[in-house]
Amino acid sequence: MNKNLIIPCLFFPVILFICLCLGRYPIYSGHVAGLVLSSLGIKSQLFDAPQDMMMIFWNIRVPRVILSILIGAGISTAGAVFQALFRNPLAAPDILGVTAGSGFGAALAIMFLTPAAFVIQANAFVFGTMAVTLAYILASMSRDSSPSVLVISGIVISAIFQAGLSFIMYMANPYDQLAQIVFWTMGSFNTASWIKVQGTAPVLLPGILLMVVFSWRLNIMTQGEEDAMSMGIHVKRWRIFYVLVSTLMVACSVAAVGNVAWIGLIVPHIARFLAGSEHRRLIPMTAVLGGLFLMIMDSVARSVMLSEIPISIVTSIFGAPFLGYLVVTAGKTRGAA
Amino acid sequence: MTLSIENVSAGYGRNPVISGIDLQVASGRVCALMGRNGSGKTTLLRCINGVLPLLEGRIQVMGREIQTLGREKIARMISVVPQVSFSPFSFSCVDMVLMAGASRIKAWSAPSVKEKQKALEVMAETGIVHMAQRAFNSISGGERQLVMLARGLFQDTPVMLLDEPTSHLDFANQHKIMALMRTLAGKRGMTVVITLHDPNLTHYYCDDVILIHEGGVAARGETLATLTDDILSKVLGDNIQCDVTKKGVFVVIPKQIPQNLNK
Repeated sequence: MNKNLIIPCLFFPVILFICLCLGRYPIYSGHVAGLVLSSLGIKSQLFDAPQDMMMIFWNIRVPRVILSILIGAGISTAGAVFQALFRNPLAAPDILGVTAGSGFGAALAIMFLTPAAFVIQANAFVFGTMAVTLAYILASMSRDSSPSVLVISGIVISAIFQAGLSFIMYMANPYDQLAQIVFWTMGSFNTASWIKVQGTAPVLLPGILLMVVFSWRLNIMTQGEEDAMSMGIHVKRWRIFYVLVSTLMVACSVAAVGNVAWIGLIVPHIARFLAGSEHRRLIPMTAVLGGLFLMIMDSVARSVMLSEIPISIVTSIFGAPFLGYLVVTAGKTRGAA
Repeated sequence: MTLSIENVSAGYGRNPVISGIDLQVASGRVCALMGRNGSGKTTLLRCINGVLPLLEGRIQVMGREIQTLGREKIARMISVVPQVSFSPFSFSCVDMVLMAGASRIKAWSAPSVKEKQKALEVMAETGIVHMAQRAFNSISGGERQLVMLARGLFQDTPVMLLDEPTSHLDFANQHKIMALMRTLAGKRGMTVVITLHDPNLTHYYCDDVILIHEGGVAARGETLATLTDDILSKVLGDNIQCDVTKKGVFVVIPKQIPQNLNK
């Protein structure tokens, strides 16, 4: 058992409880306890909650918190995996174009198809995975099989989809479509529902589990192509496996709630700070912290102002300075691995 | 023969860097590959390890053709000690060593307690067990090269390839790593192929030498018999000669050092 995980795991239920209380509709801690107890069949006069509160708690608050945990864990895990694969601690999970592709897909759906949530989500997922596939095909045409070629292909594909997204935004009706596209590109959990949880959990949970199970090999993937091959790893096959699972996780997350900036980059750094670089310890830590981090960020997004703040704004405001802090202090405090 | 290379040509793109290479390395021998920069030493090493496809010819290790084997099977026969470098992430030294056990364990598992114990034993043999938990990137170049050597030994293969393991090391560390390699590989009966630039190190620590010149084998044989003035001049340039010091130590030194250096 990973000893470093004990502290975040102890914090988790406490923060979960606080986050369940936070929101525009105030649900007090006593009520949360009562609602949870009543769902377990334990009725208590002391914590009796009104019907509308029950409805809001179970149909809006709980799925929203669960979705933020799942997506936080998924994107962060994908971020840690991408950083290992590309041997670069500054790699983000959207480096191969998944976010740009998803954004284009969502905008396309908003503009030309129906603005129904399911259609937007499906289109964003298809285009997100398509972007990464195209980046892979482009990279495979090169004689150089190093990850840097894949990164350049990702930049090219991202730029094309970004241009497509900008074009759609330029053409969009500024009163409804444009606002919807802009809000989508900044991400939000305000549309969270049990349906979205059901749509993302079957991809995210097995994805995170697979990455935890196959985490040790990521250590070797960081060692450069020939070194990894010399140690018995078929680098190209394993890279496809890791990219595929991570991309599905990110595409599925971004399709559900829009772009969530920074989290895939920053959470693995915080996790590395706490658990070290060894991926058997790092990946579970990243998943737990990612869930925790996004749950807190979403609680901030929905409770500090009267209206919802897009999630990317919150994650950037908190995430970027924190990364700066880590960069400044890392050299002073991290003596050993 | 542990290693048998027949008529091998290989290179990058269509242009061969090495061509018509024929050579054998007998079991348990430490064999140096020497030649000038760009002569094709590392290319040949990459071919033996199966990471560079051959344009023609074939390479057999322990009687098995390397080009037909998967990475895992190759990793059980050949370990590689690369030139020392930084790791992009700060792993501990023991984690770096443990990576070489990948071909022995299932894809979804991590090294067992027994494997960790074995890694620490190998690190103790190379004299670095005290830095097992230290960050690989925080130790000196010489120490990092010892970690790389321990990693190669931990892979526990009959053949070990070393690519210029002394290139960034100081004088004392060069001899330390070569002596350790010689002792520990000898203890395990490993066959070693090592690329080197310094003919002195070749002379002191290697049984055989293969001299590569312009992509082909210029000379090969036992070190003592092969490192002669003629052959060294042909392969490494005119300004080289063998000598024996007053204390009776064989050395390879420059024939002349320019006089007008204003020292």
